[in-house]
Amino acid sequence: MKMMSSLQARLAIAVGVSITILWLAAAVVTAHRLGRDMEEVYDDGLKATAERILPIARHDLREGHDRRDTSDDDEMDDAGHGARPEREARYGEDVTFVLRDRQGRVLTGSKGTDASVFPPFEKQGFSRTDTHRLYYAASADGNLIIVVAEPLDHRRELSQKMLLGLMLPLLIVIPLSLVAILFAVRISLRPVRDLKEGLARRGAQDLSPLIAAGLPRELLPISAGINQLLARLKAAFDAERTFAANVAHELRTPVAGAIAQAQRIRSETKEEQTAQRTKEIETSLKRLMRMAEKLMQLARAEGGRLRADVPSDLREVVQMIVKEFERAGQGRIDLTMPESPVMSSLDPDAVGILARNLIENALKHGVPGGPVEVTLDERGLFSVANDGVVLPAEVMDRLMRRFERGNLKTVGSGVGLAIVKAIADRVGAAVDVVSPRRGKGEGIEVRVSLPVT
Amino acid sequence: MRVLLIEDDRALGTAIRDQIAADGHSVDWMSRLDEAGDAFASAAYDLVLLDLMLPDGLGIPFLKALRARGNATPVIILTALDQVSDRISGLNAGADDYMVKPFDLDELSARIGSVARRYTGNPNPIVMLGPLEIDLAARSVRLNGKPVGLTAREWVLFEAFVQRPGQLLSKAQLEERLYSFDQEVDSNAIEVHVSRLRKKLGAHVIETERGLGYRLGRP
Repeated sequence: MKMMSSLQARLAIAVGVSITILWLAAAVVTAHRLGRDMEEVYDDGLKATAERILPIARHDLREGHDRRDTSDDDEMDDAGHGARPEREARYGEDVTFVLRDRQGRVLTGSKGTDASVFPPFEKQGFSRTDTHRLYYAASADGNLIIVVAEPLDHRRELSQKMLLGLMLPLLIVIPLSLVAILFAVRISLRPVRDLKEGLARRGAQDLSPLIAAGLPRELLPISAGINQLLARLKAAFDAERTFAANVAHELRTPVAGAIAQAQRIRSETKEEQTAQRTKEIETSLKRLMRMAEKLMQLARAEGGRLRADVPSDLREVVQMIVKEFERAGQGRIDLTMPESPVMSSLDPDAVGILARNLIENALKHGVPGGPVEVTLDERGLFSVANDGVVLPAEVMDRLMRRFERGNLKTVGSGVGLAIVKAIADRVGAAVDVVSPRRGKGEGIEVRVSLPVT
Repeated sequence: MRVLLIEDDRALGTAIRDQIAADGHSVDWMSRLDEAGDAFASAAYDLVLLDLMLPDGLGIPFLKALRARGNATPVIILTALDQVSDRISGLNAGADDYMVKPFDLDELSARIGSVARRYTGNPNPIVMLGPLEIDLAARSVRLNGKPVGLTAREWVLFEAFVQRPGQLLSKAQLEERLYSFDQEVDSNAIEVHVSRLRKKLGAHVIETERGLGYRLGRP
């Protein structure tokens, strides 16, 4: 079954088997026809022999030679008849015959002929016993009847030799042609293999069209179809990105306006209560914004494009995110990164979302004022660690479980890690939560091994 | 400073304009890129606040075109686009800073100050001038260790001199810095502000070059 799923094997087997069957069928038909033709030739020979011997024997009898010949008494004739070797030559060495008169008495016959194998005369022409092929001929006056016999074994042996002669070359030709078919199939299917390998080689991030040059006509629709799909996928990703940008704009701008207005009121008013109220408005709006932000990030993590066309340096992204947190004055971050670039084909935005969420969580759950340690090593291992409480195993389990979209209560708490997990899952990166962190009795470390090129 | 604000959202635009004006800067607020282009042609700005998604186009190409013309006016991008790649493309296009909406107005004020300081070549926010200790970041002045209260207008005028020591500033230049297009300017407004600064910080803090303008003195 597995074999039959290969086009190459299927083609080779189908062609090989049909060629073999056709060869064998052709050989059988040829052998059959040849056998019939040979039968005719043998019969003609038998008939000719009979017609040749009959006048000679008749002449011999008329000359008055002895009626009883070798058939009955060999020794008797041995000395007296010099005619015998002469006669053998006249009748032909390998011919077996018997000459009878009208009454069926045996007049003469070939050497060592057992007259019993010759059934009595019934009619002129051919007939057959279990062992011999016979031909009966009568002289013109009907007084003499000759019957010539040829052993069937003889014929069978000849036809077997002929069949063998026919089959022997086939035994060589069929395996050779199977090998030739295998090679031909392999060579003809090379473009298919090349196409397959080309597809396998290209990474998940490569959405560039396949090159159709050099492909056989039969494969052109396939490569065109794949290219169409790739183009549609690219368009879908681009549309998703444009949509996300539009949503971000449409959502953030009015919220930004409202927050800014509230902040203006707060700095313009002299009433304590009004200032307090605008502060409340601001807080609510910021919470709303954070929630919307998380949902946008989650949508991005689950449906957006996570691979970029060109690799980029992970350090730049991490640096930018860390700087953002530092500028916002949200806490202390100790950043450790290698000297040389850490190139990855991951989309920098996806890495940014991942890093932002991990750092945000660490700042939120860590010891207030304590440092968050952010590390990126040259193999793409990204780690965010903070001091603080030890996470029980079942909480860790729950954290790692996929965020359920219906449950909005978890927005803002568990969703950060769910976003990280969604991105990591889709790019095939492992996420490890270690608590307490290594070398310490407390805290949490989250490690993600980002794929690097 | 004279600031060009390019932002199409009314609520956000008015709040930003009021905030910057309260800081003592003059603000021209445009909601379209073509209007912003016209404003550039008719006034010299010290700073541009640029939104990236405007009704008549995108901010990045506008910024690139600005830089391509050799215009080095500091630009702070104010945008809803929060992705790392957006930020990189914004900074690569020649922006000096990048702020994602929603942001705090106080942070905007701080960033405006830091970008402006970077451009005047003196990133150090503390400037010592004789008996005066001027903190450009905190917008405060101490005379012999005692804080002196300045109004927003007085501060912006004084800051203009402190940021360009020794340089002669004409009355027109100072007016442009203090007032936007839509504000009526009294003919003697600059003289009034200068005399108040002298009263508060010392008679020699600003010198007058008759008929030419003013420059920072040696108090």
